[in-house]
Amino acid sequence: MQVAANIVVLVAIYALISCGYVLIYRVSRVLNLAHGELMMLAAYLLLALGTLFDGSPFIALIGAAVLSLAMGLVLYVVLMRRMTGELVISAVLVTIALGIFLRGAIVLIWTGRLYHPIDQLLWRNPPIALGAGAAISTVAMVTIVTAVATYAALFVFFQFTRWGVRMRAVGENPLLAAQRGIKLHATYALAWAMATFTGGCAGILLSLDSGLDTSMAVVSLKAFPAALVGGLDSLRGAIVGSLIVATAEVLSIQYVDPLVSDVIPFLVLIVMLMVRPWGFFGTKEEIDRE
Amino acid sequence: MNTIFAKRFAIVALACMAAAPTAALAADPYVVGLTGDMTGPDAGNSGAVADTVRIYFEKVNERGGINGHPVQVIIRDNQSQPSRAASDAQEFVNDPNLLIIVTASLSSTYVPTISESKQHGVPVLFAGGVCPTEVFPPANPLLFCTSGYAADKDAEYAVDYVRSVSPGNVTVGFVSMAIPISRGGMEHGAAVAESKGMKVGDHEIIPPTTVSFSPYATKLKAADVDWVISWAPWITQVKAFEALRELGWQGKFITYAHNVAEEELKRIKDPGFLVFGTNAMFIGNQPVHQDIIAAAQGKTKFPYTYLNEGWIASITLEAALKKVPWPPTRAKLVEVMNDLTIDMRGMRGGPIVWTKDNHFRRELFYRVYGWNSTQNSIEVVKDWVRMDVK
Repeated sequence: MQVAANIVVLVAIYALISCGYVLIYRVSRVLNLAHGELMMLAAYLLLALGTLFDGSPFIALIGAAVLSLAMGLVLYVVLMRRMTGELVISAVLVTIALGIFLRGAIVLIWTGRLYHPIDQLLWRNPPIALGAGAAISTVAMVTIVTAVATYAALFVFFQFTRWGVRMRAVGENPLLAAQRGIKLHATYALAWAMATFTGGCAGILLSLDSGLDTSMAVVSLKAFPAALVGGLDSLRGAIVGSLIVATAEVLSIQYVDPLVSDVIPFLVLIVMLMVRPWGFFGTKEEIDRE
Repeated sequence: MNTIFAKRFAIVALACMAAAPTAALAADPYVVGLTGDMTGPDAGNSGAVADTVRIYFEKVNERGGINGHPVQVIIRDNQSQPSRAASDAQEFVNDPNLLIIVTASLSSTYVPTISESKQHGVPVLFAGGVCPTEVFPPANPLLFCTSGYAADKDAEYAVDYVRSVSPGNVTVGFVSMAIPISRGGMEHGAAVAESKGMKVGDHEIIPPTTVSFSPYATKLKAADVDWVISWAPWITQVKAFEALRELGWQGKFITYAHNVAEEELKRIKDPGFLVFGTNAMFIGNQPVHQDIIAAAQGKTKFPYTYLNEGWIASITLEAALKKVPWPPTRAKLVEVMNDLTIDMRGMRGGPIVWTKDNHFRRELFYRVYGWNSTQNSIEVVKDWVRMDVK
């Protein structure tokens, strides 16, 4: 039972992180390699707001989430918008540079020391008994609920809202979408905002559960195979990819060797790239190598 | 009149000429190069050491320097990257005035630094990370270490402590990070535990990029361990402990006291969570701790409780430089460091004693701290215990 609980928690974490990769990629075909740093920045913003609004933890929490949303918008307007029309690889390189810049800036401002935002918000993180001797922390439970709510909200958004349909249209054929009057920049900006928001939520929850230091950015790299395995432009795929990667990781810790768990996500990824390079639910794309 | 003036002028001119070289010499600094991780993965630990060395020698210079000479500390950020450490070391060894390289970063940066040190005869002081094996007897002539970390010795002490408080049947679990120094230390600890009649229930080797520690805690709990011993980067140690408590494990956990330990004991407030180490915590309120607090005021973003290791390295370096006759050379400094005893002023259980063969220290002193929930404060669970380093 505890092993199952461990898998569910890890699936929720990976799913929450990987949907940020998917949201941007499915709309713009840009792989945001600064996702981990943006996620981490949201957690540091929570820390800063926790100090600023001492005694008002919910204001700090909501503020950090809103700021992470705004961060995506600003990043697109200031930085990524200029990459429109350029080679996709250029945009990806910009995100790498952005990640390096953010990591450096975070260390300069907050140093590399370990923080515990949950203490600053004066919250506790007691375990919740699940029966049969299994337990998870309260924040882990909130992470599961948040992941489910996020994916449900995204499903409704893409299926039933005008902006969701526009976003899908831009993802499928930006030229045609633009000719039909869809504002491309507004759509891309929204995708960036949604991605930094969901990533920010993941970063905030991770920092509340296990503390915060600059190693958090690395966590996003472990969720990256989950997004790729599922298919980089499919939210459904992100869930399935997270499930496969998290299950393989936890079971390898439990029954094989903990050291294997570190490479298992990438092993799964390699196998998937060999068998079905576009992932379980991704769109088959042709790569022009000329 | 003119003759008198001419005589006085000549005297003043001669005095000035005589004084000129002395004044120039007085302004010449002792040059020290520090390559540390200030923005990399170990910035939380090594960054504090680098900050402390800077702060300490700023104070020394304010007091007039050492033997009338200021100390110039050239600081470089190597981000714990071997390539950057190599480039820092090359810069340092090629500076003819530089006397010593101080390093404070992950052990992955040691090889290039040691290689440059050997080629150019520059001494290296390991001030922040784990001490390399080359400083233990028989020591490499150029390598010295002040930091508290010594994986195998630390593991031996932790096992001894557990044995002393749990003399009967006891099952012990070990937690390490999947890096050679941590894993090796805990494997050594497990072997020592078995030799002392303890049952080793489990050894979890946790990768550095771990997201959730619950799967590892699940295995430790299933192994029914009474004690867990850990020697790893702090985050691995504390997250493993917290994951165990989350699963309802009621055993005791003893782990290495990194510079963050004092803050963390106050946060965790669990009497079953013990830390052991070689540095005295600030709760002891020694005069030297007051000095550190006063010196650090407004000069670092790190809490003062992080500054122990850097301060120890700095007082050691100051003591060594004080004994080097002017003009200083690398060889003279090495000669001094080969026979040096430094009073730790209460920051450790005893002095650091370096000899020609031993550049670590002849004696190690360990203390165990824990949380006293009745008094709601940190307490010394076991006072200094001495171990010989042979």
